[in-house]
Amino acid sequence: MSSRGSLMFLLHAHLPYVNHPQNSGFLEENWFFEAVVETYVPLISVLERLAAEGIRPGVAVSISPTLGAMLENEELEAKLQEYVESRLELLEKEVVRAQNDPALLKTVKLYQKLYEEAAGLMHKYSGDLITPLKALQHAGQIEIITTSATHAVLPLLARPEAVRAQLAVAAEDYLDRFNRKPAGFWLPECAYEPRLNSYLKLSGFNYTFMESHAVETLSAPNGVYSPYRTSNGLGLFARDAASSREVWSAKFGYPGDPAYREFYRDLGYDGEYEYIRPYLGTEGARRPLGLKYHRITGANVDLAAKHYYDPEAALARVDAHASDFLARRMKQTDDFYNARGSRPLIVSCYDAELFGHWWFEGPAFLEAVIRKIRAERLPLQFVTPSEYLNSCQEPAELSPGMSSWGENGYFDPWLNETNDFVYPAVYSATDKMIETANRFRNQDLNSLAVRALNQAARETLLAQSSDWAFLLYIGSHSEYAKGRLEDHAANARKLLGEVIEKRIDEPALVALERQNNLFPRLDFKVFSSVSRF
Amino acid sequence: MPELSKPLPAEDRLVLLPKNPGNFFIFWQLSAGRAEAFRSGALGPDVELRLSYSDDLTHAHSYHLPWQPGRAYVRVPDQGRVYCAALYAQRGANWEKLLESNTAAAPAAAGQAEDRAYASLEFHKRVST
Repeated sequence: MSSRGSLMFLLHAHLPYVNHPQNSGFLEENWFFEAVVETYVPLISVLERLAAEGIRPGVAVSISPTLGAMLENEELEAKLQEYVESRLELLEKEVVRAQNDPALLKTVKLYQKLYEEAAGLMHKYSGDLITPLKALQHAGQIEIITTSATHAVLPLLARPEAVRAQLAVAAEDYLDRFNRKPAGFWLPECAYEPRLNSYLKLSGFNYTFMESHAVETLSAPNGVYSPYRTSNGLGLFARDAASSREVWSAKFGYPGDPAYREFYRDLGYDGEYEYIRPYLGTEGARRPLGLKYHRITGANVDLAAKHYYDPEAALARVDAHASDFLARRMKQTDDFYNARGSRPLIVSCYDAELFGHWWFEGPAFLEAVIRKIRAERLPLQFVTPSEYLNSCQEPAELSPGMSSWGENGYFDPWLNETNDFVYPAVYSATDKMIETANRFRNQDLNSLAVRALNQAARETLLAQSSDWAFLLYIGSHSEYAKGRLEDHAANARKLLGEVIEKRIDEPALVALERQNNLFPRLDFKVFSSVSRF
Repeated sequence: MPELSKPLPAEDRLVLLPKNPGNFFIFWQLSAGRAEAFRSGALGPDVELRLSYSDDLTHAHSYHLPWQPGRAYVRVPDQGRVYCAALYAQRGANWEKLLESNTAAAPAAAGQAEDRAYASLEFHKRVST
């Protein structure tokens, strides 16, 4: 059956760079372990399973350079292995504990399967989960794109040198990781401003994504249902708000269904303390263990009153939600087709971690949507961004304004009274980095000075991450976020000062090189005012 | 209002950032010498922040603010325009220019559906409630 419209799924996978090699059981490293087990492994499994059955997924995946570096970090891989093994050990005990409780036992066994799948996939790829993603892209099953080096909100970086550095480092990082140049760029937080067009083109990117209201206000000929291009030829895809809301909204969307897993009730808080103590990290404070046995139950049901999760009931809702999602897309495409006589493109962008980590049933939903299009012979097709741009008519030119996908549509979540103090620190490090890169870019430096300057560039990039401001805004892990921001900014300034004063503290430099060890090819000159651009 | 744990090194800068169609965030950092001039009374306790349209440098609006804590939110005179800022201090009867900022565009407001969802935030918000 010929297609009446196209669907484009963009899953943006990102975590801040968290690597504490001197510590074991570090709380914030669990973000990575949980995301691997609940999101990345299940998504890779879905994509591989579909591809093996001859059902091409055709989705786009953005992998942030910080996440990519964590997925390739051998020390983190070893810790991940320990994390999975410790959960499997706990789950063996849980099977015994739940022996006389069939409702609980079903979910315990589901978790056993989840962690065994993670262990199996990690073993299959020797711990490197980039390998299957690279293979899927190489086989034409998916398209992988990148985002700024450390997920900086680019419109809040006023220094052109800093924006160029974020883009250039990301492009180089992608080339090293995926052995090809990236075609697409995910703007962190979908934060767009017009001056980025030239930087993106000069960095070699062909297209990016933007929020729907950036397009809707311009009387664009096809609204969000077709791509556009800027005057310098950068392709633009606009996010479709409707399909996003159905999946994203905890209030209106599918993830709030009473049958789905409750995120906030966890064995780490429910379990008898001495029983779970071996799994709580060195400090022994209660924390989530990733084993959540209850369902949402109802909108205003107290955590203590939640009912046990029922995997079969949840899967039945996944099937219903996938059908509903596709029915709504069919209506969108039919309405557009009947009005315009042309086939619309619906662009649905989501945080990848929503699928699995926040919305436990998300990977199953994605698989069901893709399978149903094939099984029910729906006149819809999944396309990747590059495929679409290569086959569509020349997109109309558009000059959208600033926007983001954040609360209120602009930059409020990353710039408000709870977090605005980060910007003086970020600019202090950034300006010093630019000034020092300009000073030394044409000088012959010894290898120690070059290492110090390159590490200062890493620290500067890490200080610019959007994650610290966001965590401060939501009041989650605030002290950690503040500490990370201050440490990276201070590390950069200290290293730059040491190079200028020719008194580099090599042991301290070695420690930073071990901890903040992403971007191995980074050259500090990327921050200089006259660079390759 | 949260602050950094340690003071930053003495450097001069004025940075203008877009927050939303109605507001800019602006912050300034002053070298030790200038900060001392404020503390000693050689410069008046308030600064004047002058916003100009960057295309023709005509004056858009001025704001009087205390010189500390060195940051403020100011109303955008006209959405969708590009601005630059300059920071002035009073020495005797004269206003003396201390710093100039980067240029920054103010977003133009767009109508939005009230139920537009920002998923990560929605889920995170449940943590803090």
